[in-house]
Formats: sequence, structure tokens, C-alpha cells
Amino acid sequence: MAFPYAFRLAARSILYEKWINLLSILTIAAGLLFIAITALSVYNIDVTTKRLPEKFSVMLYLRDNLSGKELENIINTVRKDDTVKRVKYISRDEAMKELKTTLKDTKYVLDGLGENPLPDSIEVKLKDEAVSPDTVKRLTAKLREIKGVDEIEYGEKFLSSIYSLKVGMNTIGIVFVIIMSAGMIFVCYSTVKILFYRKSEEIETYKLLGATKGFIRAPFIIEGAVMGFIGGLLSLIGILSLYYTVIFRLSYTIPLFKTIIFPINISLYLPLAGLFLGMTGAVIAIGRIRY
Amino acid sequence: MIHFHDVSKHYDNQTALRKITFSIDKGEMVFVTGLSGSGKTTLLKLIYLAEKPDEGNISVAEWEIDKLEESSIPLLRRHIGVVFQDFRLLNNRNVFDNVALALRIRGVNEKELKTRVFDSLKIVNLRHRADSYPHALSGGEQQRVAIARAIVSDPTIILADEPTGNVDPDTSAGIIRTFKDINARGATILIATHDRALFKNTGRRVLRLDSGNLTGEEIG
Ligand SMILES: Nc1ncnc2c1ncn2[C@@H]1O[C@H](COP(=O)(O)OP(=O)(O)OP(=O)(O)O)[C@@H](O)[C@H]1O
Ligand SMILES: [Mg+2]
Repeated sequence: MAFPYAFRLAARSILYEKWINLLSILTIAAGLLFIAITALSVYNIDVTTKRLPEKFSVMLYLRDNLSGKELENIINTVRKDDTVKRVKYISRDEAMKELKTTLKDTKYVLDGLGENPLPDSIEVKLKDEAVSPDTVKRLTAKLREIKGVDEIEYGEKFLSSIYSLKVGMNTIGIVFVIIMSAGMIFVCYSTVKILFYRKSEEIETYKLLGATKGFIRAPFIIEGAVMGFIGGLLSLIGILSLYYTVIFRLSYTIPLFKTIIFPINISLYLPLAGLFLGMTGAVIAIGRIRY
Repeated sequence: MIHFHDVSKHYDNQTALRKITFSIDKGEMVFVTGLSGSGKTTLLKLIYLAEKPDEGNISVAEWEIDKLEESSIPLLRRHIGVVFQDFRLLNNRNVFDNVALALRIRGVNEKELKTRVFDSLKIVNLRHRADSYPHALSGGEQQRVAIARAIVSDPTIILADEPTGNVDPDTSAGIIRTFKDINARGATILIATHDRALFKNTGRRVLRLDSGNLTGEEIG
């Protein structure tokens, strides 16, 4: 079969053209290392922002003197919406008690009030994925329609900033990964293109002797894949040593570093990503073969 | 096996072949001769599809060339062993690998390939140079490597372009004997040469080209 021979040709080419190959391997390694570092940062920020929606809630302030039945109705209607995670009823007395504990020593400011002026209220927690400006707007418009609800309040600023932080990080991460990947494909593309041109005389002979397109392509694709794979392995070694020497050590002295989470399994995909990028670059570089 | 009908080929403003018609049957060994520039190489190139005809029809083995799909081109070429006028050896491979290439392209396994390559190198008396690189060989030795590569795959058609252009008369006679042996085993052979001594007294057909015209046919 022609296949093992294609591997031999690829190995031969890698050894004979070691400098140009080494250069592209190192470039791929550096690129994937950057991607890994970005992914690590995005991942960590993402983990942090994921906890933020927990803190977000919508408050419904209720009309005074609702009957038990009316109250139950309201709570049930709210609960039925599928963006709602939890509903908590807070009576005016509880609200006052809470206010007093918050004010602590300065609670005498409330003394002049006489009767409790606070309304009964319902605290609505949303499912994490529902915490976005659009969904919340839609939900509040619906809740405002319910009879017995006087007023609705939620942290509009807070909401839009978590949301844009999340979207922003993801966008930056994705754009960065796409640009870097394109860059690495281009590196493999140029390398294989150069090798392909350098061997054009040889390839012409192959064609005249009756070689199929596959026979001609295979060694170059294997070469691209091997370059990418080795580059990926180097970047894996890079990110692991970076993690263990820098972050691991620093976290003894600087506690902030302790909170960095390292998802090992993501890094194991680095050699595969390299292989894929290398192959893609090679396939594009070879292009269409004509006899 | 090979049929040309009113075939013409022009390069830019130069006419290399004009309305050529001939047939070569299966198992024949035929010479094509003519002065330098008369169109011999062009004629061979049309057969192994390195060039396309501008007019006329060509058929090779079971293929009509103008109806051939691109994917069949390598199949057709694997039926043919070509000794190129400029050899086309790969300078970065040794003699063994150069000859073996013809078999690797055909997917022959490495074990069988080894015996076949050495057999074919023995025929051209270069068994002992298997590890040499082309630049370390004389012109005549390189030519014989090219012949070994053309015959190693047992092709049904052999096209040899000036296969004795770089060797002495004795070696030349040896090469013609080799082609006769292979022909006797059934291969169809077409040899382009301007060396009359090569086909004298062979009793084979000789096609004569003159400035792109097929001017006659004789028996050598
Ligand atoms: N690629 C090409 N481009 C332009 N003209 C060409 C090309 N190849 C051949 N020719 C011209 O076509 C004519 C025939 O060339 P060809 O190589 O077939 O001759 P030949 O009989 O093989 O000559 P020789 O005995 O010197 O090898 C010549 O006039 C040559 O200049
Ligand atoms: Mg010629």
C-alpha cells in the first residue's frame, strides 16, 4: 500500500527540511500557548461571572391589605413563569426587622415613623441563563399586569453590567481564538506551500509516472499534521510548566492566584487542535492538483 | 494499441505535428525517426498525455483520449512505461528509490518491490549502483536507470525517447536487445531516435517525421 510510504516521505521531508519545519512547529507552539492562556483567563472570568446571577433579583412590592387567597394567587402566577427559579415572600414586618439589623446602632432613625411604612414584597430569583436584559424586561412587563402588584424594582445597572461582561468576555475569547487559529493555519499553509513549490519538479515526475492525487497529497498532509501535533505537544508542555512553576508557586505568597482554576482536560486537546490546524493548512496549501 | 487520426499539435505559433495518422498494434515494436525538432518527443507526449492534441483523435489501449476523464489519467499512465529524453530522475533519491518509485506509485508492497527493482537493475547492468545518487552516475548510466524505471512495472506500452542518446554502440545494442526481449513477452514498444543504426536490420516498422509531417514508413 502507498500509505506507509507516504509516512516515510513525510518523515524524510521533515528531517531534510528541518529548519523550516522547526520554525513552524515553534510558531504553532507559541500560538497554541497563547490560546491556552486566553482560554484559561476566559474560563476563570466565566466561572466568576457565573456566580453573579445568583445575586440578581426582582422585587415585587404589593398593595396593602391583600387577602391570603390573593397573595397565594400572585405567588403562583409568578412561580409559573419558566424563567423563575425561586420565589420568596417577605412580609412588611420581616422587612422592617431586616432593615433594623442592617441599620444596627443607627436604628433610632426609624423611631419617629410610628407605624411600619414598608409594603409586603416578593423576591423573585431567576434562573442563571435568564439573567439578561431582554428576558428580565419581558418578565417584569408581565408581572406588572398581575393584580395586587404595586411596583417592581430590579438592579438595572447591575443586570446590564453582568450581562455585558459575560458577552464581552466570550466575544473577546472567541475572536482571539479565531484570529490565532487562522494565524496558525496560515503558518502551516505557508510552510507546506514552500515545500510544495520546492518539490514541484518531483511532483511533476510523480504525475507523469501515474501517481494519483492522493499519493501526491498524503505526504504533505501528514507533514502538516505532524508539525501541528508536535507544536501542540510543546504548547501543552508550556502551559503545564507555566501553571506549575508560576501560578502554583505564586499562590503561596499571593492568595489571589489560589483562586485560579486550571481545567487540565482542556489542555489535553492542544495536540489535537494543532494536528487539525496543521492538516487544514496543508490541505489549503496543496489546493487542486491538475494533471 | 495506439491510434492517431489526423492529429495536429501547435505550440504557440509553432506547428510541432501536422495531420498525423498511424496505428500501432498490440505487441509491435516500432521506431519513429526524424531530425532534431521534427516532432518525435511531441508525438510521445501526446500518448502519455503530457500534451493535448489541438486537432484529431488519439486512442491508447482502451481509452479515447479526448473523452478521458481527469481521474483516469493516472490509470492510463500506469499502463505506460516512459523513458524520458531528459530522464527525469529524482536527484535526491538513490538509484534503487528512483526505480522503485514506479512501483510505489502502483501500490506494490515493499517486499515484492525489492526483488523487482533489483531484477530490472540487473537487466540494465546497474545492480551494483543501487545505492548511488544520480549525480554520481555517468550520462549513460543515468539513461539506463531511466530505462530500468520504465520497464520495472511490466507496462503494456513502453515509450522510449532517444533511449540510447548517451551510450556507446555496444551498450546501445544491448539496450535494443533488452527492448526486443520485453517486446517478445508482449509489450508494445515505441522508440523515438535519430540514430539510424538503431533500427537497421531489425525488420521493424520505422515511421519518418519531417518538420511535423509524417512523410513515410519503411522497414528497418
Ligand atoms: N513546450 C514547447 N513550447 C514551444 N515549442 C515547443 C515545445 N516543445 C517542442 N516545441 C517545438 O516543437 C517542435 C518539435 O519538438 P520535439 O521536441 O517534438 O522535437 P524532437 O523531434 O523530439 O527533437 P529532438 O530530436 O531534438 O529531441 C520543435 O520545433 C520545438 O521547438
Ligand atoms: Mg525529442
